Amino acid sequence: MTLILLIALPLGGGFLAWMLGRFHAQAARWVSLAALGAGLVLALNLWAEQVGGEVLPNDGSWLVEFSRAWIPQLGISFHLALDGLSLLMIALTFLVGILAVGCSWHEITTRVGFFHFNLMWVLAGVVGVFLSMDLFLFYFFWELMLVPMYFLIAIWGHERRIPAAVKFFIFTQASGLLMLLAIVGLAFVHQRHSGELSFDYFDLLGTPLGGVTGMLLMLGFFFAFAVKLPVVPLHTWLPDAHTEAPTAGSLVLAALLLKTGAYGLIRFVVPLFPDAALAFTPVAMTLGVVGILYGAVLAFAQTDLKRLVAYTSVSHLGFVLLGVFAWNELALQGVVMQMICHGLSTGALFVLVGALYERTHTRDLTRLSGLWAVAPKMGAMGVFFAMASLGLPGLGNFIAEILVLVGAYSVNVALTVLATFGLVAATIYSVRLVSRAFHGANDGAWKFPDLSAREMVVLGVMVAGLVWLGLYPQPVLDAAAPALSQLLPVMPR
Amino acid sequence: MELGAYLAVSAVLFVLGMAMAAARRSLIYVLMGLELILNAANINLVAFARFKPEIGLDGQIGAIFVIILAAAEAAIGLAIVLNVYSRFGTIRPDDIDELRQ
Amino acid sequence: MSRTDLTALSPLLVVALAAVAVLLLISVRRNHRATATLTLAGLVLGLVSISWAATVTPHQVAPLLIADGYALFYSALVLAAAVVVCLLSFDYLEQRGEQREEFYVLLLLATLGGLVLVGASHFVTLFLGLEILSVAIYVMVAYARSSPLAAETGIKYLVLAGASSAFLVFGMALVYAQTGTLEFRPLVAQLSAIEGSGLALPGMALMLVGVGFKLAVVPFHMWTPEVYQGAPAPVTAFVATVSKGAMFALLLRFFAALGPGEARPLLVVLGLVAMASILAGNLLALLEQNIKRLLAFSSIAHLGYVLVAFLASSAFGDEAVTFYLVAYFVSTLAAFGVVTVLSDNEREAERIEDYRGLFWRRPLLATLMTGALLSLAGIPLTTGFVGKFAVVAAGVEASLWLPVSVLALGSAIGLYYYLRLVVVMLSSLDAGAATESAADSGRTPADPGQTPAWPRAARVGGGAALALGLLALLLLGLGLYPGPLMDVIESSVSPLR
Repeated sequence: MTLILLIALPLGGGFLAWMLGRFHAQAARWVSLAALGAGLVLALNLWAEQVGGEVLPNDGSWLVEFSRAWIPQLGISFHLALDGLSLLMIALTFLVGILAVGCSWHEITTRVGFFHFNLMWVLAGVVGVFLSMDLFLFYFFWELMLVPMYFLIAIWGHERRIPAAVKFFIFTQASGLLMLLAIVGLAFVHQRHSGELSFDYFDLLGTPLGGVTGMLLMLGFFFAFAVKLPVVPLHTWLPDAHTEAPTAGSLVLAALLLKTGAYGLIRFVVPLFPDAALAFTPVAMTLGVVGILYGAVLAFAQTDLKRLVAYTSVSHLGFVLLGVFAWNELALQGVVMQMICHGLSTGALFVLVGALYERTHTRDLTRLSGLWAVAPKMGAMGVFFAMASLGLPGLGNFIAEILVLVGAYSVNVALTVLATFGLVAATIYSVRLVSRAFHGANDGAWKFPDLSAREMVVLGVMVAGLVWLGLYPQPVLDAAAPALSQLLPVMPR
Repeated sequence: MELGAYLAVSAVLFVLGMAMAAARRSLIYVLMGLELILNAANINLVAFARFKPEIGLDGQIGAIFVIILAAAEAAIGLAIVLNVYSRFGTIRPDDIDELRQ
Repeated sequence: MSRTDLTALSPLLVVALAAVAVLLLISVRRNHRATATLTLAGLVLGLVSISWAATVTPHQVAPLLIADGYALFYSALVLAAAVVVCLLSFDYLEQRGEQREEFYVLLLLATLGGLVLVGASHFVTLFLGLEILSVAIYVMVAYARSSPLAAETGIKYLVLAGASSAFLVFGMALVYAQTGTLEFRPLVAQLSAIEGSGLALPGMALMLVGVGFKLAVVPFHMWTPEVYQGAPAPVTAFVATVSKGAMFALLLRFFAALGPGEARPLLVVLGLVAMASILAGNLLALLEQNIKRLLAFSSIAHLGYVLVAFLASSAFGDEAVTFYLVAYFVSTLAAFGVVTVLSDNEREAERIEDYRGLFWRRPLLATLMTGALLSLAGIPLTTGFVGKFAVVAAGVEASLWLPVSVLALGSAIGLYYYLRLVVVMLSSLDAGAATESAADSGRTPADPGQTPAWPRAARVGGGAALALGLLALLLLGLGLYPGPLMDVIESSVSPLR
């Protein structure tokens, strides 16, 4: 029931927020906050149970499970399950959700109720994606989160929001349809072998697949996740969508939606198609490295702050792709860390840029300079998150990227060495960002209030999270460990 | 007479009907063209039923249905054509074109 | 005629009697409300009588009609759609000052035609059903005589539908020449018995032309946008659903009986037709500014989707076709229902601009419209999603990779225009109208303050509200919990193969 509640909370809260928001905007905000807070408490409670050693009796990694027949004619069930990996992602989802509500407190002034409805439904879709253990249900949630995200961008975005929203939607939808084909194809291959039509993840695991069929089906899934992640040739929707979305939209996109792609790679692509994934490893790892370097180079060339941060996402998530296909314990731990740390650090940068834009109405790096003197708190935060992004030791991102690199090193030395240059490039663009925006003389004669208490709380939580992950990542690694050790044997190296 | 002769007449009627409908000179012509096609089909149906006695009366009965329904269609069609004429003052299909604007 | 025959035909008889009763009522006394109520009663009674007819299934009535589970399922679908159209029409006609009562006679007759069509097991009944349906629709399309477009739309539909019937009959005659029968089952047996197809293949091809017109698939789709635009909105809803659905039901019955050997060449053609329809329908809809035309193009694409499942030629494919048609009926009726309700006696709510900011003026209607559009786009939570999933599953099961890929591509394109409409409904009335639409709506940019005061805040009548509420329920209910419907469909398509 907990799992149902995890999905129902944002769904119901969103609906309530919409209804109340028609009468009173503030009510919508508080309702959303309360629903997400309750979700976070539930998730943390589950985490405490895991630490206490409560797992399902039949196997070691699953904590809670819920299954009901849904469309029995097609072998579809409403099957949710949660292991350590999902748990971390869900905790992150609720945390980021709360921060998203917090950072749009003053930014969103029109149609507040409907805004929160969409925000909450995106979160519900994301939670559903992290919990679904039936591929039909997974696709259901996968699609469900797109529509409200589209609305978030298309209604509350910046000047060129409609094209950006459409581009986002078409990219994800088209790749999603490929995944749908692959899901159905996989189910029928499984039916041919076992005589039973089923979309259940656990039934489909271990379906014997011929070389070409397996590769094609794997690519169907990979495309969908690669668009989301994003992997380099498929990333072009991302800078536009991030740039045009409202702050909360950028935050949710960067911190959560991209992670659904990473999660999909770990949960579905490799376990369902181990042979094809193994054959695909060199290509995928190369794409990862290309993403790391390409994203970093382009981030360096941007003058629009939001675009800059968006391209750093491309770079950081290249590490995820690299790590997933390296598929050993260290690399996967690194991937999990990276998913969480990138969510916090990049999310925080979007929040900062959003706050800056709210005050200056520009995101143009050539026009911003010397802001430290104007807003010291903002400057300090900017420096902190830029350092986090470049992988300063002591912060979470450092651990994540080092773990990925060490893990990948044992699989492919050359690519790992190349990937290391990504860290160097990250230093360059991060330092450039800080020195341009915050140091130097205040040429634009900017004058605006510093971060408010609310914004400090939002960013403070993220700071605390990154420091914690950097200094004492063990609880997170422990939470994910049983799930990862369960997954690791599917693609032996 | 041979079956072939009936089929030839039918084919000619079909082609004539097609041509009339496609020429779009007047809505009445178009309707008449459609009637010709239906009657071409009728000739076929009746002729086959007559020349292949082993196959029963399906075709002849079918033809009666077609005649009845064609009459109904023509009646409605002419009513609509009248309507068109009273509105547009013409029944040339090409002149009746407000929809595309 | 035996008692069983009458029982099996009871839905047909009820609707036919209702048509006569309504005619008599009108001749005695003109009363719009009474006429509509009687019509509604007739249709609902027809629906109820289906359960009575179900007690004797399967039952062949003469060689002409068959009452099996399949026919009864589609009868129910046709009748239910007619009920919705009837409810929608009442308020729509109430606003208009013309003679309204005869409309209901036509509605009942058209429904009767649909019922004959779905139960046909003989070429004669096929033609009979088709003509009853079409002839009634000719008049319905041209019913709003005060509208400048009515007569023109009527004549266009008449000419094209007439041509399609003519082709169909000529094709029938050729097939008859080859097989010597007009009855489906013996005819199919004959086809597989004879060496070489002779006249049968051109005959079937001609028949497919006729059917293609009715279904409005490429390359016989050109009439759709004009007829959809020119006909009164409730009639458009009827044409889009009942007329196409009944025809498709018949097509499916015929092809399911046909052996794979005879069907193959035709299926190849239909595969091309399906792909062309999906692409053309979606691409043509992209730039459309008129919502009725947009839905016309989208319906072309949807028939293409259904054809993909149809091509699978399997029991699973039949189920997918049927489910998708149900989903299409619900979504299309909901979309046109909203158009109907928003229309007033001046003109119909057909310009995209009419929908600007609808979310903030009429939230319930806008939500329903959004639901219908998302369902047509195949987004989760709606019945269209399950339908699309079933169609894709059927296609993949039959390894129809090319058509299925085209379907995926088409529905990705389709999203674009459905979402465009949704965004228009969501955008704010004042801000958007001035900047975005001045260029394309033809409104002079000089007076941006002139926000559309249209459509006026018309009251939604009780009947229409009931219909729309029902559709909303189905839209969501069948999307979340399609199991029971799938059970019904599974058992009702089982007699086909």
